[in-house]
Amino acid sequence: MIEVNNLQKEYIEQETSTKALRGVSFRIEKGEFVSIMGPSGSGKSTLLHILSFLDRPTGGSYKFLGKSIDEMTDKELAVVRNKDMGFVFQSFNLLSRLTVYDNVEIPLLYSDIPTSKRKSLIEEAIIAVGLEDKIHTEAGRLSGGQKQRVAIARALVADPNVIFADEPTGNLDSKSGLQVMEILEMLNNKGRTVILVTHETQTAEFADRIIRIKDGVVESDKKIVANRHQRNLK
Amino acid sequence: MLFKDAFKTSTRSLTHGKMRSVLTMLGIVIGIASVIVLMSIGQSAQDLILGQVKSIGSDLVIVMPGAPSNGKFSSPASSQGIVITSLKQRDVDSLEREPSITFAVPEVRGQAEAVYGNNNVTVGFTGTTADFFQVSNLSKVSRGNIFSKSDVDSANHVVVIGPDLAKTLFGPYVNPIDKIIHLKGVSLRVVGVLEKGGTGAFGVDIGNLVVMPINLAQKQFLGTTHFNVIIVQADSSYDVNFVKSRITFALRQNHGITDPNKDDFNIQTQADILAILGTITSILTIFLAAIASISLVVGGIGIMNIMLVSVTERTKEIGLRKAVGATDNDILQQFLIESVLLTFAGGIIGILTGALIVGLVYLVITTFFTSVGWVFAFPLSAVILSLSVSGIAGIVFGIYPARKAGKKNPIDALRYE
Repeated sequence: MIEVNNLQKEYIEQETSTKALRGVSFRIEKGEFVSIMGPSGSGKSTLLHILSFLDRPTGGSYKFLGKSIDEMTDKELAVVRNKDMGFVFQSFNLLSRLTVYDNVEIPLLYSDIPTSKRKSLIEEAIIAVGLEDKIHTEAGRLSGGQKQRVAIARALVADPNVIFADEPTGNLDSKSGLQVMEILEMLNNKGRTVILVTHETQTAEFADRIIRIKDGVVESDKKIVANRHQRNLK
Repeated sequence: MLFKDAFKTSTRSLTHGKMRSVLTMLGIVIGIASVIVLMSIGQSAQDLILGQVKSIGSDLVIVMPGAPSNGKFSSPASSQGIVITSLKQRDVDSLEREPSITFAVPEVRGQAEAVYGNNNVTVGFTGTTADFFQVSNLSKVSRGNIFSKSDVDSANHVVVIGPDLAKTLFGPYVNPIDKIIHLKGVSLRVVGVLEKGGTGAFGVDIGNLVVMPINLAQKQFLGTTHFNVIIVQADSSYDVNFVKSRITFALRQNHGITDPNKDDFNIQTQADILAILGTITSILTIFLAAIASISLVVGGIGIMNIMLVSVTERTKEIGLRKAVGATDNDILQQFLIESVLLTFAGGIIGILTGALIVGLVYLVITTFFTSVGWVFAFPLSAVILSLSVSGIAGIVFGIYPARKAGKKNPIDALRYE
């Protein structure tokens, strides 16, 4: 599903260049739950931004569902982001004056899903994150955990192949963080690919594979024999 | 993104900051209201002036001394202090002989102080023939009679005066008929007082008019033998342009003119005068609207300014929308709709405000200045122009901020603090 080969990203600012990624290579298959870990400044967020088509690499290759990012226009990237990708951000990025329903609707505004089908999709997504009683509440009035659940509902409303989560528990207390991770785990169990960036080991262990990044290169790429869910089952 | 979704998104953004939206619109509201008010008042003034000219009748032809302006507008020679003496009695006699002409009425004009007892007032007087009253549609008198042809022939010392002058000189209780007034020391007997209301030829206010036999005016007051104007009433069975050509022929013959470029008279029909006045008043209206539209530009810049602020404030929102699939055009569309909605709504409120002001102006003028005969005008063209201009202003002043929003890089926008 995702194939990166010698991926590089260099930022040039005022004649000073900074290499955030120095040749990253890996593959991620459909249905995987992958955590990308690394210390601050390691390049993990840069990698996630490139994987999620929010940014372009300056070197190497990246193929998503068999298609290279280099061959795609900005408009095509936007279409893929809308159809195949869902996003969960550390800072939620909700429009606080809109209701939960309206926030979840945003990706559908840019899709070709007919208006008549939207309502049921939005309601299903909100029910999936357990916020049906807050459906008409303004997003600004919700707690941090609830906000992140709205963000997850927004990420899955258009039924994407992959969900990208950038430090989704970073702004949450441990209880809310656990709830959010359990939802992501549930989505992965239903067949969605989840790619998560975190620096918290506990959070990373929800995945079944951990890619560690350091100084812009892959330090390790390990499958977890039994992820947290599987361990709990035992 | 569907237009209805973009529209919904934009209206939501605007209604979330109601006070800001209203204040942003204010510039456009004032600009459009100014354009509406000035265009409407300009139209009213135009209707009033043209209406007065039309009231003199389409069969009237005005013959004035001096060379024609050949289509270009210029003020009459007399108003520039130039005395041209080309129109004489023999011209009137020639014109009266023309079968296509019903009346040829000469006029002379002057100014003098009218005195009765202790009351005095400076007035403009007209010396003319008895036909003047019929030709100028002023034959209705409230008291007495108009003077007769024999009064003119004998240069009798008689006058017909306007109702306002009668009131000024005689007050409300004295009957002016057969009273003697003095102009430049010459005694004149008042034989008639014109009926109140209405205007004379070319919109001259009849209120203070003093009309006397032409022979008297020429001999006693002016000491001249030429005329200031000859008003010709064409026979209604003839085409006015034909009559015009007959007048030209007769006067050239009388004045011995062979080169048409050396005419020492000019002839204007009602249509000529309407065309000139129409052009002048239209230019004035456009000029006023152009001044008012400066405020529209200022309002538009205000909108652009606020939209730029809005784009900066909503950078994260733009980033999010792009992250979940919005294209550059989707974002551009959303912000453009917002600015057009602002200007369009401002335009509608401006039109309503303008209509209110125009109505108030009409009410005030018709209540306090009844003699003006103000007409209500609210030109549809002003409404269409205002709506178009406000819509276009939304696009013109919204395109830059909207493009700026659309061009934002999603990841930079998401990181914006």
